[in-house]
Amino acid sequence: MVRDVVADVLLGLAVVTVAGSALGVLLMRDAYQKLHFVTPAALVAPVLVALAVLVQMGLYENTGETCLALFFMVIAGPYLSHATMRAIRVREKGDWRSGTASWPEMANTAPREEREQ
Amino acid sequence: MVLGFAAAAVAMLICIIPAGIVLARGDLPEAVVAYEFITAVTVMVLALLAQAFQRSSLFELPVLLALLMFGSGLVFVRAMERWL
Repeated sequence: MVRDVVADVLLGLAVVTVAGSALGVLLMRDAYQKLHFVTPAALVAPVLVALAVLVQMGLYENTGETCLALFFMVIAGPYLSHATMRAIRVREKGDWRSGTASWPEMANTAPREEREQ
Repeated sequence: MVLGFAAAAVAMLICIIPAGIVLARGDLPEAVVAYEFITAVTVMVLALLAQAFQRSSLFELPVLLALLMFGSGLVFVRAMERWL
């Protein structure tokens, strides 16, 4: 009984998180702002769902597989967000770095004399 | 059937609708963001439905989708960056 209540509370929190993120994705102005609202749905809500399964089932096969899916999402989410942000910036500006200097110019900070030697 | 998990799955499916609107009506970067959101929510929906119906075999679907989400997302992002 207590397990059911705790699991339902966790599921409710997960649904509220996803609903808020969905509204953020819908209402924000551009893709940069919308992308911030993907993270709660991709990281916070899966943790809550995995906790709900853990509370409901205990340490069981289903819990392990849910945690495995959670692990993949935790690994993939931030990397994917970064790649998306970078791709949007490249699409808009032609390069993801700020300013006009190219990468070799920015990386080579040694004086010109040393570089020519 | 565990009712709480099924109800949560249905509620999360309803939450996909706003992202679907963005996917259909937004420009390409917004559509990619909406696609990532929908994929993340779908992983959870599959896990919730597997738990709701108490089928252990169904738990492999969210694991696979979570893994494929990473690869497919990168493919979309790379295509958007280079060719679209």
